[in-house]
Amino acid sequence: MTLGLTPGYNDDVMERSASETAALVERLLSFSSPEGGLPYYRGNSSSAEPTFLAALALFASGAPTERAKPLLSWVKTLQNLDGSVCVNPGHRGQGLWLTAQAAIVFHHYGLKENLKRALDFLLSLRSVTVANDPRLRQDNTLAGWPWVPGTFGWVEPTAWSLIALHLSGQAGRPRAVEGRKFLLDRRIPSGGWNYGNPSLDDKELLPFWDTTGLALAALRGQADIDRLRPSLDLVEKRQDKIESLCGLAWAVISLQAYGRDAGRLRTRLRNLMGSPAEEDLHVGNFALGLMALSQKRVFTA
Amino acid sequence: MKRRQFLKDATLLTNAVALSGITQNVPPEPCPVTLLPMPDYSRDLSREIAAVMSGDGLQLKGKKVLLKPNFVEAHAERPINTHIAVIASAAHACLRLGAAEVIVGEASGHRRDPWFSALNPSLRGILDKKVKCVDLNHGDAVSVPNAGRRSGLPVFYVAKPVAGADILISMPKMKTHHWMAVTLCLKNLFGVLPGVYYGWPKNLLHFRGIDNSILDLARTVKVHYNIIDGVVGMEGDGPIMGKAKPVGALVLSPFPLAADATAARLMGFDPQRIPYLFQAGRFLPGLKQQDVVIRGEKPARFAAQFDCPEEFRGMRGGPFF
Repeated sequence: MTLGLTPGYNDDVMERSASETAALVERLLSFSSPEGGLPYYRGNSSSAEPTFLAALALFASGAPTERAKPLLSWVKTLQNLDGSVCVNPGHRGQGLWLTAQAAIVFHHYGLKENLKRALDFLLSLRSVTVANDPRLRQDNTLAGWPWVPGTFGWVEPTAWSLIALHLSGQAGRPRAVEGRKFLLDRRIPSGGWNYGNPSLDDKELLPFWDTTGLALAALRGQADIDRLRPSLDLVEKRQDKIESLCGLAWAVISLQAYGRDAGRLRTRLRNLMGSPAEEDLHVGNFALGLMALSQKRVFTA
Repeated sequence: MKRRQFLKDATLLTNAVALSGITQNVPPEPCPVTLLPMPDYSRDLSREIAAVMSGDGLQLKGKKVLLKPNFVEAHAERPINTHIAVIASAAHACLRLGAAEVIVGEASGHRRDPWFSALNPSLRGILDKKVKCVDLNHGDAVSVPNAGRRSGLPVFYVAKPVAGADILISMPKMKTHHWMAVTLCLKNLFGVLPGVYYGWPKNLLHFRGIDNSILDLARTVKVHYNIIDGVVGMEGDGPIMGKAKPVGALVLSPFPLAADATAARLMGFDPQRIPYLFQAGRFLPGLKQQDVVIRGEKPARFAAQFDCPEEFRGMRGGPFF
């Protein structure tokens, strides 16, 4: 069916799009190691995050589950007894913030037992809180999620944790409620998110494309749209300034999640994904790009 | 950590000069510090830098060299980062001196996206094709026993390219710092630790005390050479929100504390009043003015008075030159 468009046009676009997606999937999987994981960059050892994001990209692009099996087998070896997930098998206590990303993978692939343990760990994890500081216009008494247990909460680990909880039907949990308050509190008043504080001494900090896109994805359907509109408008209005693969991917993911037009960004992203030099290809960001170009939602229900 | 992984890391470290642990590194003579005029970023100073490094006895022939600039944050209007022209001059100086491999690597403290850091096209575009750029935030790391005792961290997870380098060159920007008074070569070592392990920012190091973490890293990670970008520094609310402060010089030395102490004096601070520099003086040479011999231009030509937050005004001193 062509929905009233020129006969054959849509079929042609779909076919071209499918073959492009298949080529991107093959390029992504060319980074797989024999044990099943993927590294951040060619020549490195397998690491948790690029493997998680690659697994999610395979899910998003509709690749057969068989193709993800080696990745999932390796991912499962990263889970510790307490449900946390580490950066690599050699450094078991490190990179525990990655548990949230792992939970998203476990959710989409139906790995219920792994998911339950990961969520239990996430629900037990709180960032350190302190009294409010007049230099910072933010509520330091709210707990988000930290990069490293025993430290402060930051935008990115909090947003990943919220996505994991929301997808798993845990949005009503007190930790999720407080996490959303934390994330909304860290918004830059004129739009977007920095990596942590929205301002310092009344001076707004710069919004980052990656944390802004991620935070918007985490809050979709879970916060008053009026509170998010300045951030969406910011991404939309300044989209021509976004140049990196990571930034473009998050901009597309966030705009599409809210039903906004990301057509120009998608074109630029597709072109960029065909071009990065092999030595500069960040596998995690490439996988994010693939997710952005796919139609299936990965980070929102 | 499993024993097998520990042994793997230990084998790597045996080959790495960069992580030999610092004890009493006291030179027989005063520490040389060279001030190289660089009024703006339009000149290629690779020849001059090579001459100074060679004169300081730095042997690079056949070596793997890692340049560690500071790309903590990206802001078009603020001089936050080590300028790419300085990085290019230093990288090309290393090639002139026969380095087998030259790598520019950074684990940016605020920016996760490597496009804003070591993989920015503007840096790649100015460098000789033989120079590699690596994102130290994302990639392999090795665990290295903490040679200090102040932070309480048993080990540091150091980016593998740093651990595997024969020569490590610290290349910070000359800046004030709203918590530490100044940020220079020693503080720049935070950027050898991957964000995947420590986060953005490396909040764990803050929790353990920034000064403690700096001092432990200074004992653990050996820096072979230091080049401070003081062409345009940052004063006021550094290291991110401050203002440009032109000084017009590069500060070069094999000794990180000597470079830092000299840069601090050029900025109008007394390094002996800056707690972490004072503490570093207990195990690194070059804190006191009489421990340093300044070569190149006369320092009075570059001496400045960097504006700083109120709480650090008591750390000012001089005139030193």
